[in-house]
Amino acid sequence: MADIIFYIIALSTCLFAFLTVASRDVFHSAVWLSLTLLSVAAIYFYLDAQFLGVIQVLVYIGGIITLFIFAIKLTAKIGDKTIQQANEQALLSGLAAFVFFIILFKMIALHPWAELQPQAPVFSLEDIGKSMLTTYVLPFEFLSLLLLAAMVGAIVIGKVRK
Amino acid sequence: MIPLGFFIAISAVMFCIGIFGVLTRRNAIAVLMSIELILNAANINLVAFNKYLGTPDGLGQIFALFVIAIAAAASVVGLVLIIAIYRHGKSVFVDEYNLMKW
Repeated sequence: MADIIFYIIALSTCLFAFLTVASRDVFHSAVWLSLTLLSVAAIYFYLDAQFLGVIQVLVYIGGIITLFIFAIKLTAKIGDKTIQQANEQALLSGLAAFVFFIILFKMIALHPWAELQPQAPVFSLEDIGKSMLTTYVLPFEFLSLLLLAAMVGAIVIGKVRK
Repeated sequence: MIPLGFFIAISAVMFCIGIFGVLTRRNAIAVLMSIELILNAANINLVAFNKYLGTPDGLGQIFALFVIAIAAAASVVGLVLIIAIYRHGKSVFVDEYNLMKW
């Protein structure tokens, strides 16, 4: 039963990801991207990372997709359907991506993955919070600095100059 | 139980689809969306390895949290840049951006 759920999640992730890059309308792309991110959140739940799944839904679908839709609607005047959405290198880059995938897949298939079994979670959400504020406090603080810099930068760049 | 290789295979598929999107899409916003796909593929790897190798303090999940936050910051700045360029040059298509071309 759990296996069937995994296969459904895997198939929907790949399908929605493909539709994200393949659909002509950019707004449709954004909707497919939100479904892809939801499937990735389902993968997180499947892997016992509940907190990360919730964060994925909150930050990505609640925040980033909204921003994407805002940006699409702010630039919508030239987003109509008659405009070409893919460039001339589509065939070549598709081939390149496919060859890269084949190489990756061969490398993955070489390794004996069956030896590794999933571990029971030895840490809880509490442990993640604790280690984030003790062991990994330096990257955490740098991250808050980065977010502040991104916010200020976005305001400065987006400001209308007279 | 599902072996770890399946998760890595999903991640590889998402990564290659994202690369295809970055290379082919003309709309800069769609290029940013493909970059989000690539970052999510990396996150799946981190969480899957964390589950199967059993790191004691959930290092993979913490790292994935950092990646999510950095992706949010990156896409905010990227979208603002696209809107600023659109205001300046009336285009969102990357092959029409020639502001910094010599």
